[in-house]
Amino acid sequence: MRFDTPATTNPIDQLKVIGQPTDRIDGPLKTTGLARYAYEQHDVVANQAYGYPVGATIAKGRITAMDLAAARRAPGVLTIVTAENAGKLVKGNFNTAKLLGGPEIEHYHQAIAVVVAETFEQARAAAALIAVDYAEEAGSFDLAAARDSAEKPEASDFGGPPDTSVGDFAGAFASAHARLDQTYTTPDQAHAMMEPHATLAAWEGDKLTLWTSNQMIAWGKADVARTLGIGKDKVRLISPFVGGGFGSKLFVRADALLAALGARASGRPVKVALPRPYTFNNTTHRPATIQRIRIGASAEGRITAIGHEGWSGDLPGGAPETAVNQTRLIYAGENRMTATRLAVLHLPEGNAMRAPGEAPGMMALELAMDEMAETLGLDPIAFRTLNETEVDPENPKRPFSQRQLVECYRIGAERFGWDRRRPHPRQVREGRWLVGMGMAAGFRNNLLATSGARVRLGEDGMVTVETDMTDIGTGTYTIVAQTAAEMMGVPLESVIVRLGDSSFPVSAGSGGQWGANNSTAGVYAACVKLREAVAQRLGFNSSDTVFAEGEVRSGNRSVPLAQAAASGALTGEDSIEYGDLAKTHQQSTFAAHFVEVGVDAFTAEVRVRRMLAVCAAGRILNPKSARSQVIGAMTMGVGAALMEELAVDKRRGFFVNHDLAGYEVPVHADIPHQEVVFLDEADPMSSPMKAKGVGELGICGVGAAVANAIYNASGTRVRHYPITLDKLIGGLPENV
Amino acid sequence: MYLRPSTLREACEALVEAPAAILAGGTDFFPALADRPPPPRILDLSRIDGLDGLEIIDGVLRIGARVTWSRIARAPLPPCFDGLRAAAREVGSVQIQNVATLSGNLCNASPAADGVPPLLTLDASVELASSSGTRCLPLAAFLLGNRHTARRPDEILTAILVPVASPDATSCFLKLGARRYLVISIVMVAVLLEVAEGRVRSARIAIGACSAVATRMPELEAALIGASPAALGSLVRPHHLERLAPIADVRATADYRSEAALELVRRALRRCDGAAA
Ligand SMILES: Cc1cc2nc3c(=O)[nH]c(=O)nc-3n(C[C@H](O)[C@H](O)[C@H](O)COP(=O)(O)OP(=O)(O)OC[C@H]3O[C@@H](n4cnc5c(N)ncnc54)[C@H](O)[C@@H]3O)c2cc1C
Repeated sequence: MRFDTPATTNPIDQLKVIGQPTDRIDGPLKTTGLARYAYEQHDVVANQAYGYPVGATIAKGRITAMDLAAARRAPGVLTIVTAENAGKLVKGNFNTAKLLGGPEIEHYHQAIAVVVAETFEQARAAAALIAVDYAEEAGSFDLAAARDSAEKPEASDFGGPPDTSVGDFAGAFASAHARLDQTYTTPDQAHAMMEPHATLAAWEGDKLTLWTSNQMIAWGKADVARTLGIGKDKVRLISPFVGGGFGSKLFVRADALLAALGARASGRPVKVALPRPYTFNNTTHRPATIQRIRIGASAEGRITAIGHEGWSGDLPGGAPETAVNQTRLIYAGENRMTATRLAVLHLPEGNAMRAPGEAPGMMALELAMDEMAETLGLDPIAFRTLNETEVDPENPKRPFSQRQLVECYRIGAERFGWDRRRPHPRQVREGRWLVGMGMAAGFRNNLLATSGARVRLGEDGMVTVETDMTDIGTGTYTIVAQTAAEMMGVPLESVIVRLGDSSFPVSAGSGGQWGANNSTAGVYAACVKLREAVAQRLGFNSSDTVFAEGEVRSGNRSVPLAQAAASGALTGEDSIEYGDLAKTHQQSTFAAHFVEVGVDAFTAEVRVRRMLAVCAAGRILNPKSARSQVIGAMTMGVGAALMEELAVDKRRGFFVNHDLAGYEVPVHADIPHQEVVFLDEADPMSSPMKAKGVGELGICGVGAAVANAIYNASGTRVRHYPITLDKLIGGLPENV
Repeated sequence: MYLRPSTLREACEALVEAPAAILAGGTDFFPALADRPPPPRILDLSRIDGLDGLEIIDGVLRIGARVTWSRIARAPLPPCFDGLRAAAREVGSVQIQNVATLSGNLCNASPAADGVPPLLTLDASVELASSSGTRCLPLAAFLLGNRHTARRPDEILTAILVPVASPDATSCFLKLGARRYLVISIVMVAVLLEVAEGRVRSARIAIGACSAVATRMPELEAALIGASPAALGSLVRPHHLERLAPIADVRATADYRSEAALELVRRALRRCDGAAA
């Protein structure tokens, strides 16, 4: 189905099932432990063996010798695969470093071997017996030091152009009435999802099946085939449940390749899970950024110049963390510039993490906006409202499809009691707590991608949906079922959803908050096909056929839906394909984030007291799972603001705090009260579903709202995340 | 080899045959392995009778080696143990408290072990058993450094012995971390205060996570004797804490630890004063 004109009224608009706060249909499987994650596929193939990875212990250099003899002789060992005996491997399109390194080492904990044994313990014990000699080389591990050597990266689909410029930024900034010129930093961060990367691989002749934990099945299948040099038709990926990914499972990682190689060498199905420390240094992370923001404004607070430059680092051949993109769109201003620069760092590979670029970019931009509002003597909401735009500021002929950001501010301010905020910092004290409020805009684009599905009406009247779309804990099973139920006029219980299998039609996958809108639009397209097939078989005129309450109705005729399949199942398969609505209109999602914090006047402990996000993100397909996405993202934003930081060992080139004891993320007790409000919206430009994403909107801006609240409470402006206690204590009143 | 003896004697004999790694709740033991295989000989204490007692006999609380944090938190103990019980509720999470032991916390000898400061203020000792007999060491003599104790490889810590302080002693424990729960301490402070006739009779103060081993603060303790409880907070001066040697790490700078320790001590003293009132 081509979608190139705005959606008109369609069956989804009935909102009988869609738009309802439905419990997750896969919830009982998860709470009872019946949902099978990759490493738990114990009975899908017999005779499974275990692989254990060996990671490089240097960041850069070469292996000079590798002694496998003791490991080979160890009990239970079946085989050991290294780059030397793995056969020819080609780097995947989505990988920057090789998944199996050697003799050249590109980063710390790059996999250099997998030991396959009868049991997990035997594999692990033997892996510890492998002795490796290295010739270590000096590397570049410090972004601040590498900043001056950073270069202009190539333009990319995701990152955009390295430089943008509109009007005369330099001139307008120089002559502005009020100016801000500040530098902000965000640290390297880890996805820290609960389920580590894991794969079970089995070969049947030249065909490879991988039960794995992956967000993007089609990308994964293509990269596995490419890496191993086999046809795509020889590879099948199965990933029905994913225990969180946040971007770290967008791409094939070492677990999948090591399992496939181990299985090929041993002639047995092989399972590999990355031990927790490897999920920090062997996989990808969100790269640190340095960001310079300049804003010039007139006396009444209109932005006349806005500039945002971002520096980040990655391995040679890698890509930048593009922190500047929101600045191109969010606020008005005639003179604008952005620049993205990329340095070479020999740390583990940088790549997408929840709202890549946008999350750290908004942490800096929205902090800068708060500072600028203060300089101008304006309320932060008033300053933002004054600089609201209805059009793409770089291209005024291009309107937003919808933009209710000001409405988000208004509703949020009212609900949160923003009028009680004192404009000057450090005015509110409750016992030993300094209390303050902060806000920030949330802004994340809505991305469109082709997505397909197959829907079958069985002889028993059950509707089965199949698509390679994944549910990474987000609620996809449920919204896909809701879509099919709405379209086919059946109750939710009559829908079976099967996801995450590369033998199903290719979907948009889960990433970039594009999954919900695109995958359900694909299901919509397939249901339209199935409805036509049903009408045709029943001899109905398909244009006026109504599907409701388990029946198919046309004129005064009414037939149970199941009857259409009585003489054999019917199938509809299609995909949604987009025209240029996203080019003619800017599609984005918006939020206003509000945070209240207490800062201990003596120890600088920060306690978040209340959080509110008001979101405008098109039609909300399931308010319950959407809310969960937003509160999860807000929580992650608190982590980014207050504690999450991969500590870099700048001599040895690795992340030191590579486990969940050292890499602290917020716990429930840190987040006492969160509220999420969705505006009642439907965006006809986005898809027939009229929906947009929310999963990343929730993290964009929230970190800055925390930072701004801390400033309002304590009077200390911290521009270097995370805002740990030691960065605050010096400025506290008791210590002045 | 995985040994699960059912008597202390067998356990001690096993340690004479060959050294073994001792396993209690395993909450330090297993994480410390990281991705290495377990040691070749493990001695599991879980079947040994007589190590799970928790009772006061002749004015001494005896905490058996297998007593978990949860049991301490729930035990009906006099107020001088309030600090220890507060620590019990802040060690890891409830799941950790249900399996982890106090004895394991001491033997592991982390600078951030939450059990140490309260036990130091209680003047606790540890009982060590081996096939050649039993000895007792004051806790301060048992803990020698970061991950370093006076335990000989053939010894098992069988109990922690704590003299019960006077019934009007009050105690408290405060812990500061980067988040609200399940957190490794940046600083923690334990205080035990005895007040008589409106004056401090004795003050015992210990600070953890600011030196390789948590330590008592004798200079500060001496400075508080005879003072009015309400004034205690204001008597604490930076020089009182000169014994501390905090490090900077991913959680906080050394300077931060020093400042926060000062504040936490003041706060703990006020808290104890409040409890006494
Ligand atoms: C998620 C998590 C959170 C944690 N949070 C905290 C925290 O907040 N505060 C804190 O202080 N600790 C914390 N810990 C560490 C740990 O839980 C405690 O130190 C606990 O008290 C250890 O007790 P255990 O019984 O599990 O010891 P084990 O792990 O079984 O043993 C610890 C060490 O002591 C030795 N040992 C144990 N018992 C004996 C004995 N009777 N005789 C001789 N040697 C012995 C062992 O050989 C080992 O070296 C945490 C751990 C985890 C995993």
